[in-house]
Amino acid sequence: MGNAERVQEFVEAFGGLKAEVGKVIVGYDEVVTDVLVSLFAGGHVLLEGVPGLGKTLLIKTLAAGLELSFSRVQFTPDLMPADIIGTTILLEDPEGRRHFQFQKGPIFAHILLADEVNRATPKTQSALLEGMQEGNATVSGITHPLPSPFFVLATQNPIEMEGTYPLPEAQLDRFLFKLRVTYPALEELNEIIDRTTRSRETEVRRVMTGPEVLRFRELVREVPIAEHVREFASLIVMATHPQWEHAPDATRRFVRYGSSPRGAQALVLGGKVRALAQGRYNVSVEDLRAVARPALRHRLILNFEGEAEGVDVDGMIGDVLEQAEATSRKGKEAFVR
Amino acid sequence: MPNSGVLERLVAQVGWEIRRRRAEFYGLRGLFYGAVLGLVPLLLKNAVGPAAPLIALGVALLGAAAGALRGISLPLPAADAARLADRAFGLQDRLATALEWAARPDRTPLVDLLLADVTARLEGLDGRVVVRRLWPRELKLLPVPAVLLVVLALAPSIPLPTGRLPVFSSSEESETPEERAGKILTDERPKTAKREPLQRAEIMERNLSGRGGATAGSQPGDLAALFKDTALAAQRPDFQSFLKKGDERLRMLEQVDRLPDLKRDFTQSQHKMIFQKRRALSGGLRPDQISPQKLRELLEEMERMGRKGGNWGGDIGEGMEALESGQTDRAMEAMERALSKMRAMEERGRDGRGLRGGREAGRRGRGADRGGSGADMDADFGEGEGLMPGKGRSPNPKGDATDRLRANPFDAGVEGEARSGRKEGYDTNLLGKGTSVPSRLHYMGVFGQYRKMMEEAMAREQVPRDYQSQVKEYFESLEAR
Repeated sequence: MGNAERVQEFVEAFGGLKAEVGKVIVGYDEVVTDVLVSLFAGGHVLLEGVPGLGKTLLIKTLAAGLELSFSRVQFTPDLMPADIIGTTILLEDPEGRRHFQFQKGPIFAHILLADEVNRATPKTQSALLEGMQEGNATVSGITHPLPSPFFVLATQNPIEMEGTYPLPEAQLDRFLFKLRVTYPALEELNEIIDRTTRSRETEVRRVMTGPEVLRFRELVREVPIAEHVREFASLIVMATHPQWEHAPDATRRFVRYGSSPRGAQALVLGGKVRALAQGRYNVSVEDLRAVARPALRHRLILNFEGEAEGVDVDGMIGDVLEQAEATSRKGKEAFVR
Repeated sequence: MPNSGVLERLVAQVGWEIRRRRAEFYGLRGLFYGAVLGLVPLLLKNAVGPAAPLIALGVALLGAAAGALRGISLPLPAADAARLADRAFGLQDRLATALEWAARPDRTPLVDLLLADVTARLEGLDGRVVVRRLWPRELKLLPVPAVLLVVLALAPSIPLPTGRLPVFSSSEESETPEERAGKILTDERPKTAKREPLQRAEIMERNLSGRGGATAGSQPGDLAALFKDTALAAQRPDFQSFLKKGDERLRMLEQVDRLPDLKRDFTQSQHKMIFQKRRALSGGLRPDQISPQKLRELLEEMERMGRKGGNWGGDIGEGMEALESGQTDRAMEAMERALSKMRAMEERGRDGRGLRGGREAGRRGRGADRGGSGADMDADFGEGEGLMPGKGRSPNPKGDATDRLRANPFDAGVEGEARSGRKEGYDTNLLGKGTSVPSRLHYMGVFGQYRKMMEEAMAREQVPRDYQSQVKEYFESLEAR
């Protein structure tokens, strides 16, 4: 198959999967797109939204559209790491001999839905760390590889803070995107009522297999990026650091820690998927702008003043983008700006 | 493999457009400065001659040409031109990416697709303007030199001023003496260095009245007070300024007659001064051999000190009465009592300043609980008394005296009391000159360090639980002292 066909196949698969999800999920076009971008970029997604907005349904529908194993873990305060990863149990064979056997936990699935991930203790939340970064799970000194592709979709409720454990920065950084699920518009709400209150259920067709997802992931990484576009990604990340000399005022005032290099990786990878999904063979500055908010909003750690003022991180990222653009033009002659 | 020639052609085209815009911009700027410069030959038309307008025009045009040349020759990276084209034609960075990746050895298969895509898109492009035209700020001012050029070219030449300019200087009288007196005289005259006006040392202006403690009663110009000024000592030494200008303290040293008596110990307390006077008064004499006049003077001095809050006024009164009636021995006893009270008051004051610490204060309080006030107990001990901890008197010297304190061997002493612990022991306290030695404070300070080290060691090492309580008890017994 030629490269043009591969790209065409990806564009169709991307659009097909989005259409299948759209059969069940009303609206949330941007959220669905970003979830798919994250899937093909090889990252994980944290969905944040109040209860009842269809976060879990979105993920279940996506899993149904993919020919991949799916498991769901409802995070609770008494959930233990072994409940996620698995544990070694003592078994007795027909001859009466006893031996230990590793019983795999729900993490051993292609798609893992970590529902209300902030309800579990940090110890349990950290059980996902190795799997998300390395694609392995280590139990009793033995490392078990997780199935590939491995895709974690976690949800959390932003308003109900009592009895929750906010995800630590190290855990948050491992999510490629953090997506905000907001209330649907009036027309979308009417459509939701229509679809969910009738007797006939919508069937989701499986449009992609695991190996196909892996193949597309490889294709995505071949998308070229120009030097000035890559530099723009670096400038965006640098502008989130309050110590940087060209950092915007909002960053200096409200941010304690800026984005890690993973933020820049998320920007470029997200941009590559977005470009390819549009049938384009290169990453543009607009691609980076489009993925900047989901890629960076969980990577900006606000200081006390920022928290107290209730600073909107998305708005701050807008300032960061402007500053990055201004810095990239700085020192250039007016004719070539 | 797609040919990148189309891309390079477009980039060159955009590049030429940029250079053209630059030439316009810098040409106009050059024209302005050329026109300004062209005014000079027109102003000097009288000297230059009839060719002045032509020269002026030539200078202006030369400026414009130089500016345009500069604009064309400015460096222009191809990537910048490609980015401008991307933006102008809405190519979403395709051209810049393709141009950059076409020459790279690690190009991916998608780069070929990108090149083909860009080439196809470029073929359908219209000839729109990529680079917008910019005008220099000088353009607004250009009419001014232009109009001046025309006016000056048409106007008659301006006459240049001739002759010698009048001398406006009125300082003929202030000519240097060597001009009037002649070189020989000035050479013979001994040259003296210009004397700087005498400057009073800065310390004279220092106002030390605001400082508390010993300097509270000092007057301006009190050098003794200055030497006690710790702020001066805390100044960071600037060696350069020290070498050049001299340190404030060095200037003070030049005024020998105003230097304070450095042999005098400023740390000495009132009690110690009186104690020394008392010793000088008695000098091994019996009470009946002591001069009543000197004893009266000493009592009066103590009485003056007592007015500032001392509680020995009654004793002094008794002493004066006894002296009036010729009972020198009773007067001496009264003076001794007053001296003890003076010392006790000083000790309390030192506790209040935190020099002995809360533990000391607490111990003193406990001592008072056990029997009478601390001041009364202290009154039983004299300076240099007691060889062993406790009460008593010893004629033996206790080490060499220090020159600095101008003390004698009897000035160091210890007082003591039985410790309240289980084992027999003495709780000792240093008396006399030794109390002002800083090491005493360090000695007292080690208890806290020892306790901390003990706690760390207990946490670090595996000490049996039964022993732990014993170790803690030991250190607590030290603190109880």
